[in-house]
Amino acid sequence: MKALRFWMLAPSRALMGGLFLAPLSIIAAYSFLTRGTYGGQSTPWTAENYVRLLADPLYTLILARSFWIAGLSTMFCLLLGFPLALFIAQSGRRKNLFIHLVMLPFWTSFLVRTYAWMFLLRDTGLVNTLLQWAGVTGEPLPLLYNEAAVVLGLIYGYLPFMVLPIFSTLDRLDKGLLEAASDLGATPWTSLWLVTVPLAMPGIVGGCVLVFIPCLGAYLTPDLLGGGKSMMIGNLVQNQFTSARDWPFGSAISLALMALVMMALWTLQRRQKEDLL
Amino acid sequence: MKRRELLVAMASLAGCAPQRRPRLNVFNWSNYVGTDTIPGFEKESGIEVRYSIYESNEEMLAKVFGGNSGWDVVFPACNIVGPMRESGLIAPLQHRWLDQLGNLEERFQHPPWDRNLDWCVPYMWGATGILYNKKLQPAPEAWADLWDERLRGRMTMLDDPTDSIGAGLMKLGLPLNSVEPDHLDQAKLALLRQKRLVRAYLNAEARDQMVSGDLLASQMWATTAQQAMEASGELAFAYPSEGFPVYADCGVILRESQRKQSAHRFLNYLSRGDVACAAASECKAATANAKARLLLPEALRNNEVLYPPETVLKRGEWVEALAAAGQRKRDRIWTEIKSG
Amino acid sequence: MRRALPAIAALTYAFLHLPLAVLMVFSFNESRFTVWEGFSLHWYRELFADARMMEATWNSLFIAATATAAATVMGTACAYGLWKRGAPILSGTLYLSLVTPEIVTGVSMLAFYQFLFRYMDLRLGLHTVILAHIAFSIAFVVVVVKARLKTVDASLEEAAMDLGATHWGAFWRVTLPALGPGIAAAALLAFTISFDDYVITSLVAGVDSETLPMVIYAMARRGVNPTVNAISALIVAGLGVFILIAERLQEA
Repeated sequence: MKALRFWMLAPSRALMGGLFLAPLSIIAAYSFLTRGTYGGQSTPWTAENYVRLLADPLYTLILARSFWIAGLSTMFCLLLGFPLALFIAQSGRRKNLFIHLVMLPFWTSFLVRTYAWMFLLRDTGLVNTLLQWAGVTGEPLPLLYNEAAVVLGLIYGYLPFMVLPIFSTLDRLDKGLLEAASDLGATPWTSLWLVTVPLAMPGIVGGCVLVFIPCLGAYLTPDLLGGGKSMMIGNLVQNQFTSARDWPFGSAISLALMALVMMALWTLQRRQKEDLL
Repeated sequence: MKRRELLVAMASLAGCAPQRRPRLNVFNWSNYVGTDTIPGFEKESGIEVRYSIYESNEEMLAKVFGGNSGWDVVFPACNIVGPMRESGLIAPLQHRWLDQLGNLEERFQHPPWDRNLDWCVPYMWGATGILYNKKLQPAPEAWADLWDERLRGRMTMLDDPTDSIGAGLMKLGLPLNSVEPDHLDQAKLALLRQKRLVRAYLNAEARDQMVSGDLLASQMWATTAQQAMEASGELAFAYPSEGFPVYADCGVILRESQRKQSAHRFLNYLSRGDVACAAASECKAATANAKARLLLPEALRNNEVLYPPETVLKRGEWVEALAAAGQRKRDRIWTEIKSG
Repeated sequence: MRRALPAIAALTYAFLHLPLAVLMVFSFNESRFTVWEGFSLHWYRELFADARMMEATWNSLFIAATATAAATVMGTACAYGLWKRGAPILSGTLYLSLVTPEIVTGVSMLAFYQFLFRYMDLRLGLHTVILAHIAFSIAFVVVVVKARLKTVDASLEEAAMDLGATHWGAFWRVTLPALGPGIAAAALLAFTISFDDYVITSLVAGVDSETLPMVIYAMARRGVNPTVNAISALIVAGLGVFILIAERLQEA
């Protein structure tokens, strides 16, 4: 019994230790160094990077905005993803086909998909052209380059991360339970709320975490669909590792962000008594 | 990836270093050589070239910083050459292997970042200006015109701190590469005032929207602007009167390279008039090679977007490597502008 | 609800596939810009003449397939190992890998490889990319498979063992089959993440391992041209047909 569990866990332990924790410790070390004259890292050791991050309200603002946008996107993903997962789980023999249809757009490059959205949303784009043609609006609507466009892009980008975990729990749902509920006089809506949703809870929590976290760190969507006008924490980190060439500060921001999210997950787990992993 | 390479990959997975055939590994910006440039060199020299592309100086730097990236020749921008040299990443050039350097334009034979070309060979260059729609009358002539109320919501700035903060500084008559806190603060205020007019901070993505007519003006690189102008007769390009940033991408040989002689041979090959001409006319980028420019088709040779006349070029300022403190201040300003 | 559900699903599918339709249409556009100028196969011809893009596509498929296979096996085993009893350090590490911004994962791995290679005669290449992809997709596999495991009845395995099955036999014959759709979903997710990754890949890729996203992002600096739309359309069509055939075979 023990032996099997040991061997099941061993490959992941080795891989995550060697290829994730060890590299991450390098970043942890960087975060206490100073930017060199032309980038890179150099001594002295210092906590200045963290002080700089916490002392400046600008960075707090960016962080708060990122949580807001990521939260909003996650909520919409759940509102769209749950019904879709339920539909797929109930579609019998064709469910594999439907699941693949969800993933299909994601085998194209992220950049290409985002460019397609830019075309759809711009002033002379498809959506505005159709709206004007239908007489809904005279002037083109400003659909692109605002926070709504960022949220839309994030929903689009991470919807499968919500659908897949929910689907994989709903798929096991015992039809008999629903029939029993309706025999006892429950309407479809009550049995959805009292039977289906609780059973899908592990998938819902998993999906929300899988969507929320990458949304929080997103940087290309705010740049391309948001027009780079409302920076998110992902852009800040990205800039430190690229144009600013300040790896120590970038490392400090990332570690602080990771600590924050880990704490949130930990609280969630304690309250939920559902462990995700 | 062919089967042989698959086997090699498997072998290296298993931990044994693969046996490589003699060759040269070149890491360059995208769209910077002609279709025949690399095959031509391979045929002539018998050296197999592995050619790969990158998107930003930082991506390339991150790779080569460790000193064992495997690349032999890379093409940093002129403001990166100095830092790379100081960090001991690049090897000094052996001029006895480079007999074509005389083909370079006069100003690229003694550029400010490398007075005697001891470290780098300038390859292509470019500048930043204003791409605008001719409907916009009077046409913009200066960075200050990008602060004009009539452009509200129909104008983009580049998503690049050097260019955007640079425009702010130059509009105020301050030097492009300034790291004076006072100068930078003035530029910040100007850019924050401009932000309500700016539709978005975009790079090459603005090109399509200039062509489609969504935008009236964009801060844009000359090379990208040229592509847009070829697609739409409505567009024109201006080199701002206050001055503008100029940059050049230069070939360097990495210190780690085990194939320095082949690397020299490659750089020398790129500096040949016919080769540089073919690359420049195919990529529609501005070559640093005077001989190549003479060989270009007339329309391209006299293209004033890619090759502004001497009188205009006088106003250009080279983008320079900045000291750490100035860089940090600039990043803080950029963050504030973009999250305002 | 019987009617509401298909309607919502149809709308969501439309939302997901609209950009796909756009890029397919523009792959047949004569112009290199997103302004329609007429039908043309120009970009497809250009694509097949572009040896680098073809090789990058091949690399991407190879990397994604290898990394998905490895991550799915390891991740499923890991989820199973965590099923009845937790392993706080491992779970914590997996969580951590989920919350790490991509660029940090990439930079840290690059720094780590560079450190190792100082003592070994190895270079960045396909192998480093594949290892990195396994490492960052494993947590996704674990999350999806674990969610599925929670719906599996643990007593079934015990019953099987009471009837004389070994622990391995109980896992293999009883639990694993019940995990089927969860594992498939996890593999699909891992493949998609790996195939589309740019940030981490570009940092740990070496001389011989250019992937399709790397080529596309590098093109973006000067403006993407529609060969990118053409290759995307071909990949979607190709993988789509592949899946349809696999489905048919399964049904038969």
